[in-house]
Amino acid sequence: MTIYIVPLIFLTVLGISFLRKKDAYTAFVKGAGSALELMAGVLPYLMAVMIACELFRTSGASAVFSRFMSPALEVVGIPGELSELVLLRPLSGAGSLSVLENIYATYGTDCFIGRCASVVYGSSETVFYVSAIYFSKSEVRNLRYAIPLALVAAFIGNIVGCNLCRLI
Amino acid sequence: MAFIWIIIMLISIAALIFADPSAVLSSMITGANGAVSLALTLVALYGIWLGLFEVLEGTGIADKLAGLLRPIVRRLFKGESEGTEKFVSMNISANLLGLGNAATPMGIGAVGSMKRGKNRAVATTNMIMLVVISATSLQIFPSTVISMRAAAGSANPADFLLPCIAATVTSTIVGIIGVKLLGRFFEKREAKKERRRNAETPEITEHPIAEKNTGTIKPPRKNDFIISAGRHGE
Repeated sequence: MTIYIVPLIFLTVLGISFLRKKDAYTAFVKGAGSALELMAGVLPYLMAVMIACELFRTSGASAVFSRFMSPALEVVGIPGELSELVLLRPLSGAGSLSVLENIYATYGTDCFIGRCASVVYGSSETVFYVSAIYFSKSEVRNLRYAIPLALVAAFIGNIVGCNLCRLI
Repeated sequence: MAFIWIIIMLISIAALIFADPSAVLSSMITGANGAVSLALTLVALYGIWLGLFEVLEGTGIADKLAGLLRPIVRRLFKGESEGTEKFVSMNISANLLGLGNAATPMGIGAVGSMKRGKNRAVATTNMIMLVVISATSLQIFPSTVISMRAAAGSANPADFLLPCIAATVTSTIVGIIGVKLLGRFFEKREAKKERRRNAETPEITEHPIAEKNTGTIKPPRKNDFIISAGRHGE
């Protein structure tokens, strides 16, 4: 069903533009032109975030932190096996995707752990990536409580989701 | 963000020095390469979506969409310009449709155009609101996970959908409430500090003869002696 979203969006917008006799070609070119400049602003932040995440994973620090987190997660109803996923999800989309693959391979998809993992991955975002990128074009450097709040909110969402999975 | 980054870097590099020192550079290279290839992919995607948005702007559909979302956007983001509101509603719409890569350029535009506070390097409450809403994920339909489950052989790939939607809605609502509460809390604190500051150093009213902030006393000008007397000397 959702595979129709993107084609329909494009068809609708371009169609309406055509019907209203607007120059879609020039507009498109103008819009697309700003992509390179945007990327130039975003790339440094991407670098910083992804270098840190890769180091975090390879150093095993994430594995160590996860082991500490497991008992705490069990208390609120999240399976301890998911601690690396819960830890990595806000840090790295690609990294957490590979952790998710691992979990499916180890525990399977249609069990409590597999479903919880899907919920954890699917209901949250890469908080650090979003925070860094969204502020990349402004001079703002002090994000105040944005990241801690997003992490807490995502964690509460994870708790709700995982506990609801018990009902399936 | 700066603090978290440096902590992660220090801990990871320190750990690797003991575990496998050569991995430090190779990991950084892997990470940097990942960033570059991701950036290349994103330039292409951003090009597509930014091009579409420009066309969208021309048709006036963007304004209609912004109109639909305006009541919500106004409640959540007080005091921003129309242009910013448009960016925000495009960002939210793209996120809801699961088009994260389309939403990002809009989000960057929104934050860039938002009104700044006294200190330009500090995020305003509205900026934090937008980032928290995006970071807690508005995506109702997690297509990536469903496809991965199907690929891994799940009998019912979408059976986690209801808990997932509950989770994502909860996290966003908690985030919004959090920003509103913390925003109000910090604003009250700032107001209290301002009041205290004003009480300690009372405003010095204009002296008609001595100019403010100069070391010398300037000779009085003719007008300095005219007492402000209402209209025509009443």
